[in-house]
Amino acid sequence: MTDRPKARPRWHIAVFLAPALLVYTVIMLVPLMQTLLLALENVRDGERVFVGLDNFRMLFGDPRFSEGFWNALRNNVYFFVLHMLIQNPIGIALAALLSVPRLRGVAIYRTALFLPTILSFVIVGFLWKLLLSPLWGVAPNLLGAVGLKSLFAPWLGQEAYALTTVSLVSIWQFVGIPMMLIYAALITIPNEVIEAAECDGITGFKQFFKIKLPLILPTIGLVGVLTFVGNFNAFDLIYAMQGALAGPNFSTDILGTYLYRIFFGFQLQAGDRYMGAAVATAMFVIILLGVCFYLFVIQRRMRRYQM
Amino acid sequence: MHSLKLTRIVKTFGQVEVLKGVDLEVETGEFVVFVGPSGCGKSTLMRIIAGLETQTSGTVEIGGRNVDATVPARRGIAMVFQSYALYPHLTVAGNMTLALKEDGVPKAEREARVEKAAGLLQLSPLLKRRPAELSGGQRQRVAIGRAIVREPTLFLFDEPLSNLDAALRVATRLEIAKLHRTLGATMIYVTHDQIEAMTLADRIVVLNGGTVQQVGRPIDLYNRPDNLFVAGFIGSPKMNFLTKRFAEEAGAATLGVRPEHLKVDPAGAWAGTVRHAEHLGSDTYLYVVLEDGQEVTVRIPEETPIAVDDAVRLSPLPGRLHRFGADGLALRAA
Ligand SMILES: Nc1ncnc2c1ncn2[C@@H]1O[C@H](COP(=O)(O)OP(=O)(O)O)[C@@H](O)[C@H]1O
Ligand SMILES: [Mg+2]
Repeated sequence: MTDRPKARPRWHIAVFLAPALLVYTVIMLVPLMQTLLLALENVRDGERVFVGLDNFRMLFGDPRFSEGFWNALRNNVYFFVLHMLIQNPIGIALAALLSVPRLRGVAIYRTALFLPTILSFVIVGFLWKLLLSPLWGVAPNLLGAVGLKSLFAPWLGQEAYALTTVSLVSIWQFVGIPMMLIYAALITIPNEVIEAAECDGITGFKQFFKIKLPLILPTIGLVGVLTFVGNFNAFDLIYAMQGALAGPNFSTDILGTYLYRIFFGFQLQAGDRYMGAAVATAMFVIILLGVCFYLFVIQRRMRRYQM
Repeated sequence: MHSLKLTRIVKTFGQVEVLKGVDLEVETGEFVVFVGPSGCGKSTLMRIIAGLETQTSGTVEIGGRNVDATVPARRGIAMVFQSYALYPHLTVAGNMTLALKEDGVPKAEREARVEKAAGLLQLSPLLKRRPAELSGGQRQRVAIGRAIVREPTLFLFDEPLSNLDAALRVATRLEIAKLHRTLGATMIYVTHDQIEAMTLADRIVVLNGGTVQQVGRPIDLYNRPDNLFVAGFIGSPKMNFLTKRFAEEAGAATLGVRPEHLKVDPAGAWAGTVRHAEHLGSDTYLYVVLEDGQEVTVRIPEETPIAVDDAVRLSPLPGRLHRFGADGLALRAA
């Protein structure tokens, strides 16, 4: 054993970290802190004062705010659950189909299925609004062509269906992301492992559930947390399809659209930056809790297998 | 009865003909080694036997049954892959029992088989570990254990030792030989290493460029190679090939003589100069340039004072010369 030379101060580490740290501070940390501080202030007698947690008390307890907030949160949870139950399983199934060996035209399917993801939400929202329109949409006629016209309803205009419909459009748009992530994980499983399974008589669906699925679980967990973050930050598609009022009668209102109305105001409602900051902070905390749950509970239990 | 019978197996990938009509019969209980240079189609042939690849033409029979339309799991084979191909998410015991569960083998029987295989391969203390927690040699043994518990008609090993370090390779080679004796099973073993082939095989199949060059007992391939390829491939250091005067005098296009069959002999007929000498302790290899510029290797089974630039005379041992015709085939009758 030789004595190591005494460690000198390693300034170069700080130098290399500085640019990233600076940029991150300016565009992430400072605005975040300002929002958090703003949420603790309000205007009293025309003066901007520190009010502690009063804004949050109002948000969760005062019916003027809390009704909208809890409604948005409920809708958002439903939005997220539909994505988890529909988008991700379909994404996994599509990825499994794409990774079938010797499948012809893989590149075409992959591109076609991923295409909606790179379309603007404005295009997607408008497109589906037109498709589903009871007046000039093709949906009633298409259903009519297969004798199912009676099933048609103006889904986007009915309180009972609107949120589900919007969720399905969002799923249609974003299913390419879990598909791509899981496809990438599936093709890293070594060929010989799959061949060993073939020799062992583990084929088809059984092979998927007994060999491939356990090996891609970490990726599925990651897809889950990405879906969570994406869904609780969602805004644009609903805004494009149903407007900032997230109609009918706020039935498609999620936290993003609710925040928008509170912060910027809409029609007769005046904007309130302090309450808006409180909503933004609440969203931040919800997402933070979700991500922490994933990092500290789910990911810890999941094994990543060396392949 | 034959354990395996291959008839005119041809395999093409697109335009490339990788196997050009392979015929082979393997007796029950035999240890057959496929040997040949990298890319000669050994793995492809093995995968066709396993059913992981379909042949372009020809038939495969295992245990007297045509298996051309049979899936790998029903062919009565078990394969050990070069990369081990263990299931990373299952324990050692899980890896070994997955196929048995699939086959509906009862639990007690499964446990008995795993216990027996684990005892044979010294895996008993490792049964609860996962592949990531094992060393390379242990993983290799698990892969072999996974094959054993299935009690197949035919074991297939595709270069099972090439990911191990040199010392472990020798040890595992011995284990596989012992295993073959214990189980008495039919085994087919692929390698590019002729030493592995010579030490393990009952019979060696030398492949080159998708055709079988020669099939025979290791010692027969060593003593009576059918052609230049087999002569050069089997044996280490490589057989010396001489042309021109030396070959003409023997009435052949090429004259082959193994380094261990050349003797330094003051009365020898061949004169030359030592260009380089390698001292291995047990052996000394002399690289000698003969008068007409051709080079031969001489293997002396001891230390020798002969040094570089010394003039030496060599004489081949009688009856140890191999004569080959212009087509590369051995000339026997003479
Ligand atoms: N799936 C494949 N597609 C095209 N060519 C292949 C394929 N598999 C093997 N080959 C070719 O077949 C030849 C023999 O391969 P292989 O049987 O793996 O050789 P080896 O004797 O080294 O095991 C090689 O030239 C290889 O490039
Ligand atoms: Mg190979």
